[in-house]
Amino acid sequence: MTGLRGKVAIVGIGEVPTGRFPETAAIYHAIESARRAIKDAGIKKEEIDFVMPTAALFSPQFNTELVTSRIVEELGLVNCKKNCQVFSGGSSGSCGLQMAGSLIVTGAAKYVLYVHADRLGTGVNLQEGIDLFSTAGISAEWEVPYGQHYSAIAALTTTRYKFETGCTDEQLAAVCVSNRKWAELNPNAFFKKPLTIEEVLSSKMLSTPLRAKMSNMLFDGGSAFILTSAERAKDLPNKPVYVLGEGGVVTHFVFSQEPDLCRFGWAKAAKEAFGEAGLSAEDIDVAEIYDSYPVYQLIGFEELGFCQRGEAGEIFMRGETWPGGKIPTTTDGGMLSKGHIGAGGGVSLIVEAARQLMGKAGQRQVEGARFAVETGTGGTYMDAQVTILGTEIP
Amino acid sequence: MGKIKKPLPVVNPWAKPFWEGARERKLLIQKCKDCEKFIFYPRIVCPYCFSENVEWVEASGKGTIYSYTVVVNNAPSAFIDDMPYVVAIIKLEEGVQMLSNIVGCEPSELKCDMPVEVTFEKLNDGFTLPKFKPAKE
Repeated sequence: MTGLRGKVAIVGIGEVPTGRFPETAAIYHAIESARRAIKDAGIKKEEIDFVMPTAALFSPQFNTELVTSRIVEELGLVNCKKNCQVFSGGSSGSCGLQMAGSLIVTGAAKYVLYVHADRLGTGVNLQEGIDLFSTAGISAEWEVPYGQHYSAIAALTTTRYKFETGCTDEQLAAVCVSNRKWAELNPNAFFKKPLTIEEVLSSKMLSTPLRAKMSNMLFDGGSAFILTSAERAKDLPNKPVYVLGEGGVVTHFVFSQEPDLCRFGWAKAAKEAFGEAGLSAEDIDVAEIYDSYPVYQLIGFEELGFCQRGEAGEIFMRGETWPGGKIPTTTDGGMLSKGHIGAGGGVSLIVEAARQLMGKAGQRQVEGARFAVETGTGGTYMDAQVTILGTEIP
Repeated sequence: MGKIKKPLPVVNPWAKPFWEGARERKLLIQKCKDCEKFIFYPRIVCPYCFSENVEWVEASGKGTIYSYTVVVNNAPSAFIDDMPYVVAIIKLEEGVQMLSNIVGCEPSELKCDMPVEVTFEKLNDGFTLPKFKPAKE
């Protein structure tokens, strides 16, 4: 509950393709995403008065450039009053949206440009990526010495989730297949070749029961959105995408300290967000659920109230989350198929939710979408952030 | 690949008694003298009641596996030679949770909620890591 309900709106979105682009510079993904968002919003670049770049992980040097206003200078945002980083790992988009909204409601900013870019696909090799993610967000005293890393973390949740709910490997693979169905329709996605449950289950085992094709892969990419007041939004070309509700819970820093390894804080965050919006899961047309590994997408889906606990796997198996299905879910392909670009995993989902609500999702457009939910989580699933967006204020 | 040294715990000063205890093959955790709750990992203040009145106690070393995984591919560099190895979250009898490795057990024997007990593995002269093995009947 943040008091933003219906008061602020996303009015422009921009994104560059996710992939491996060794020939370009990391800053390109930031400034091109930002340029597209400004153009899409139909505003002058001089109207941007607050730039919020979130953090990039592949290089401290590049991140320092984002912190020290390179985007402002590159794009000539001459009336920018503040350039300030907002970062909470994978939930950066959700947290940034709330902070940007608060600035707009208080009058501290008129047009906030929120932007993410990273270069984890070409900036680091596979083993460097594994090593980066065996320390980033992982306790150097209590977990790193035991060989902890993100595949093992996802596997720990998956093992327990299977034990508690009876979820099968086929159902986990069905999440990957569902996301791929959407990615096939997304020109910005990296993986566009059809995927089958058999292919997922015959891919290399990483940390039992997690297999290679159940794991996200790291890429280069970026995305951006422009937020302003609901009042200003009315005069702009895009259908305004209002923030209707938000909820959040921070549950842990050290992964092994999480008291509920396969529920986290999602139910509480969702209750808060849906409560503020005056909506429930049944009203949602598009569910953009954070998916870094399939188990987290199943958990999010259930905890948000789209079905009972333990039922999500069957729903994904039946294709109800696919294009044309009853509950279109993670419609840009998510980190599993569009590709994981770092803190931008959640930013992409906000951009995709806005894109669907604006009616600009092309081949994968969910017809008549009015309400969307987006989820984000940072670090080792340290928090549960839920945002409800819509084209009307219920 | 064996040349890459294992990452040593980066010790916070207030956690030193834990690591000194581990060197003597003792599993030390904290207990709040005010609210009487057990605390792990070591804190400067009780995270439940905010009391500074916390003491060190020896844990029973018994617990159960909350969850586990067998790492068979794509391990961090320093652990490549250890594969397959088991990463697990242990729920101690005292109610606290910790990450560790399960040793002395075939991966196929692992189950959620199975009873385990602490054992100690020396890393070098400075550090011994508490690990867990299946509990004796």
